[in-house]
Amino acid sequence: MRLPTPILPLAAVVVLVCPAASTPEYDQAVRPFLEKHCAACHNNRAKTGDVSFEFESAEAALSDPLLWEEALLKLRSGQMPPPGAKRPTEAETQPVVRWIERELDRMAAHVKLDPGRVTVRRLNRAEYNHTVRDLLAIPFRPGDDFPADDSGYGFDNIGDVLSLPPLLMENYLRAADRIAAYIVPSGKARTPTLERYICDVREQARRIHNDDPEGYPYPPGAFEATHFFPVDAEYELVLRMKDRRKDKTEIVPIEFYFDGEKVGDFQVQDGEYQQGVFTVRRFVTAGRHTLYGDFAKPYTNIEDWDEQSYGKALFKQERRIFVDALEVQGPFNYDHRQSTAYRKLFVCQERTEDCAQRILHALARRAYRRPPAQREIDQLTGLVALARKHGDSFETGIQLALKAVLVSPNFLYRIERDPDPAKIHAVSNLDLASRLSYFLWSSTPDEELLALAEQSRLREPAVLEAQVRRMLKDPKSEALVKNFAGQWLQLRNLDKASPDPDLFPKFNDYLRQAMIRETELYFEHVMRNDRSILEFVDSSYTFLNARLAHHYGIEGVSGRDFRKVELPVSNRGGVLTQASVLTVSSYPTRTSPVLRGLWVLENFLGAPPPPPPAGVPQLDEQKIGLDLPLRKQLEQHRADPGCAVCHTRMDAIGFGLENFDAVGAWRTHDGNFPVDAAGTLPGGSSFEGPDGLKKILAQDRDAFARTLAEKMMTFALGRGVERSDRPAIQRIARNVAASEYRFSSLILEIVKSAPFRMRRGEGVRQ
Amino acid sequence: MIAKKHLSRRTILRGAGATLALPFLDAMAPAFASPTRIKAGGQTRLAVVYVPNGIIMKDWTPETEGAGYELPRILEPLSAFQKDFLLLSGLTQNNGRALLDGPGDHARAAASYLTGVHPKKTAGADIRVGISFDQIAAQHAGKATRFASLELGCEKTGIVGNCDSGYSCAYSNNLAWRSETAPLPPEVNPRLVFERLFGSLDGPTDPASLNKRRIYTRSVLDIVQEDTRRLRGDLGPTDRRKLDEYLFAVREIEKRIADSEKRADAEITPDFEKPAGAPVEFAEHARLMFDLTAIAFQADLTRVVTIMLAREGSNRTYREIGISEAHHGMSHHKGDTEKIEKLAQINRHHVEQFAYFLGKLKAAPDGDGTLLDHSMVLYGSGLSDGNRHDHHDLPTLLAGRAGGAFKPGRHIRYSLETPATNLSLTLLGRMGVQPESIGDSTGRLEHLTDL
Repeated sequence: MRLPTPILPLAAVVVLVCPAASTPEYDQAVRPFLEKHCAACHNNRAKTGDVSFEFESAEAALSDPLLWEEALLKLRSGQMPPPGAKRPTEAETQPVVRWIERELDRMAAHVKLDPGRVTVRRLNRAEYNHTVRDLLAIPFRPGDDFPADDSGYGFDNIGDVLSLPPLLMENYLRAADRIAAYIVPSGKARTPTLERYICDVREQARRIHNDDPEGYPYPPGAFEATHFFPVDAEYELVLRMKDRRKDKTEIVPIEFYFDGEKVGDFQVQDGEYQQGVFTVRRFVTAGRHTLYGDFAKPYTNIEDWDEQSYGKALFKQERRIFVDALEVQGPFNYDHRQSTAYRKLFVCQERTEDCAQRILHALARRAYRRPPAQREIDQLTGLVALARKHGDSFETGIQLALKAVLVSPNFLYRIERDPDPAKIHAVSNLDLASRLSYFLWSSTPDEELLALAEQSRLREPAVLEAQVRRMLKDPKSEALVKNFAGQWLQLRNLDKASPDPDLFPKFNDYLRQAMIRETELYFEHVMRNDRSILEFVDSSYTFLNARLAHHYGIEGVSGRDFRKVELPVSNRGGVLTQASVLTVSSYPTRTSPVLRGLWVLENFLGAPPPPPPAGVPQLDEQKIGLDLPLRKQLEQHRADPGCAVCHTRMDAIGFGLENFDAVGAWRTHDGNFPVDAAGTLPGGSSFEGPDGLKKILAQDRDAFARTLAEKMMTFALGRGVERSDRPAIQRIARNVAASEYRFSSLILEIVKSAPFRMRRGEGVRQ
Repeated sequence: MIAKKHLSRRTILRGAGATLALPFLDAMAPAFASPTRIKAGGQTRLAVVYVPNGIIMKDWTPETEGAGYELPRILEPLSAFQKDFLLLSGLTQNNGRALLDGPGDHARAAASYLTGVHPKKTAGADIRVGISFDQIAAQHAGKATRFASLELGCEKTGIVGNCDSGYSCAYSNNLAWRSETAPLPPEVNPRLVFERLFGSLDGPTDPASLNKRRIYTRSVLDIVQEDTRRLRGDLGPTDRRKLDEYLFAVREIEKRIADSEKRADAEITPDFEKPAGAPVEFAEHARLMFDLTAIAFQADLTRVVTIMLAREGSNRTYREIGISEAHHGMSHHKGDTEKIEKLAQINRHHVEQFAYFLGKLKAAPDGDGTLLDHSMVLYGSGLSDGNRHDHHDLPTLLAGRAGGAFKPGRHIRYSLETPATNLSLTLLGRMGVQPESIGDSTGRLEHLTDL
């Protein structure tokens, strides 16, 4: 199906006349700079690194844009001039950097507009999960079983990188089976099952005692289980206690929670049959829910808790009563025709050819994200007929057609067509709807978006902006937090982080989850309240629960729920000082100023250094903190001029964060040595501690805005950012700055940019 | 929010929930009606077991050559099988080396291990290495079996960004490459491997139901292929390549359905309970994967299996044997005796699981002998000294007799810089494929039959 796709008046965006290079500025500022700081090595005779900065004129200088791209990167990151050589001052460097930027922009504008071309994108795991959730109200996440998606450019939604090996195709078939069987279960009724979560007593004791800042069982729940309830129906929730006390006279009150809501108050007391078995029956919606049992007050006899011997103590005497198991029985009184998923799929109830057509048309339209062709509907209704011919029911036939939709390339891939491969063109309204929804929701367009696209209204600027604002407000934009922030800030890598338990005994899964949650909530706060993106660099607040507040040494936060907290000291604030980022940029046994510096350069300043050359000697881990402070060791390391080029800047930034240990807790000593968190950047500016570092970074707001724009553009487009995208990214960064760096302006500018709204035909010469 | 980790056990006491209606993949599952075992056997099978981060070579390489050598400590768990394997010292994977590409030895070690090709240094869209030799074998031997090959692993991947100094994660996460640009990711969930091999066991398995499933699944696959062909026509070459992957995958599945039809009367029983999921503990996980491999060989569902016990550069910890340090981090031991000791323990722990696998293969009758007699089981790493990232003198163990072609029980030392690809070429020959060369191979590897 092809919609008429008007071609934008390109002259409006393409500067056709190229003004001459600004010679006076070159002669006044740039040439003297090059002569003073670069030409000693990079001249026509020496040509160090095959680079020369000796030019006849500004025009000659600009004949090779790539050279200047490279020079810009080296200047910004302070890699050049090399350490040891005389440093240019900021006052000298700034005009040169500005000149290069402007000239590169000018040259880019002169070349023909190129919005780039996105390869067809297969849905990745997160997108698959969200899409079936929104399409058919599927409460489980079939994509979690799929093989991991490969990532490129730091994200796992890159069309070129996402492949489809046969193993994944099998997974798609299996997922389609699961979804179809969920909506239309076979057999007469669902047999109730009983599932039991048996509690590890040692683990339970640990939960009750571990890292408890307030002397109260924490996290709440002596035992907790997350259970998947397969369908909307009634279930019985059972809490079983085990009582091994010799003296059972004391009555122990127990609370039973479901998704944080108290559903039962019980008492363990002696003398009854079945003592300690408590049952609650209730209606539960399909999906994952959490249940836990907890002691209503801290249980006695456990004051002299000792982390080291908890196991022994537990079994000897201290603990004689505990949660033995949690059980879920059900479903009871289940009728699949009442489920949301069933009602979403079966838009009509008659068992007729016409109804089949209507069901499958509605399904295919949402699943293919466009109006289906009649031929496609005929194919699908053919499957219903096939099933009936083999003696199966109408429902089984629809089920088969549903499965065919769910494994169709039209569903699994986002395919954009070129109306004329020889031209640059605006993406169609329908394709734009999908681009928007997979960018902001990692999911399929909803009815409103799809309808606007079908009416060809989505491309109208006012409509587009209103839709973006609506989508950001929708809870589904949480996907942007999980998928964009999770990868930009590398939060996902926290799942793999394994701090050494001997060195960091308090690090556990609960703390790990709390760390991730803090940063997610922080990003979400900036997004939902349309705050300035500069708050990612620094702010006076964060989100904490008792566990994380304890970790940070901040008082007055209790309970497991997170809330916004004003920070008492300015050393925390901004994602760089959050334990999540500090942990993923550390080694299991120690901090790494190098990794942290690299993290900042890559993700905040967009100036990643090249990978280290081969044969670099490693640090002597044994000596760190004992024989020699880490700083001294790294200084020795940097004595090699080959290393110093990149490390001077990288390490200085990293040292600014040395007051945070490898799991992000505050410290004043590293091993035997006091922490020295002072740093001097190649440009000469020096700072002290995280506070000073953040102030310096905040000054470089342009670099930060550009970097974030570039990262988000990569995620939004599902392709790597190319040279031809430079002008668009510059423009986005500039306009975001003009809009007080508001989060929404970043999203809107990306959505309005040529790479997002347009597409190069495959046949267009670049 | 963290409960899953704390569940010590989850038991299903009665009932199994709703049965699935006619699962797609059961269309390629065999019937389960009677517990007779198929009586195939005698074909040559190839298995590759990969361990990451190199090996403590002083505890791997025996002092003497030939037969009757004393087993070094890492190999001690294999004492019962000493007459069943060859230990091959001195092989080099030159294309794992930097060759002017700078750091990234872990990525190159895994990427070159079965391909013999130097991978292209990229973290982005244009990954490229070569077809791996197991896949060449699979293209040949796979014609006769339901699965051309199986790729298994014991470590869930999913790491973001570049994995090793500018090399894509695809290089360090995969061993098998179907083409120079298409890696085959390992399946890490034993339950899903089981369902691939034997179906979900959830639907009815009588011949009439199975036949109906095949018709249904085929009809669906027909429709989606037709759609894909139509779509393809509208698209440019890059997009077409993506859809070609889809078509290839669909045809693979069609092939399996055809195979299950052909052998509808040959009933297979897994003789094995369906695993619940991926165990947390490494040893249990590895053993499940080895069990499944042995069953797949036994039932002749495939003849080629590659197993990554962990991804290259793995930072997994082995707390169950008291090692809480990350494997890769520790592998850069720089002579620290404590770390070297722990690394050797990890190496030995891996070999212990491998011994379990050899035991399984040796206990399974096959043709005129045992499965092990008819197999070639390669065990090794793409790095020898993990601290220095050496790609020479790779730890290489070859178990099995390949139907009498090899004479195991010996330690053979080859001259320095003998290409490891010569071994690949030799193994391919035993699988019935005779390419002229593989990667940088210079010829067949000598002395496997005798001295």
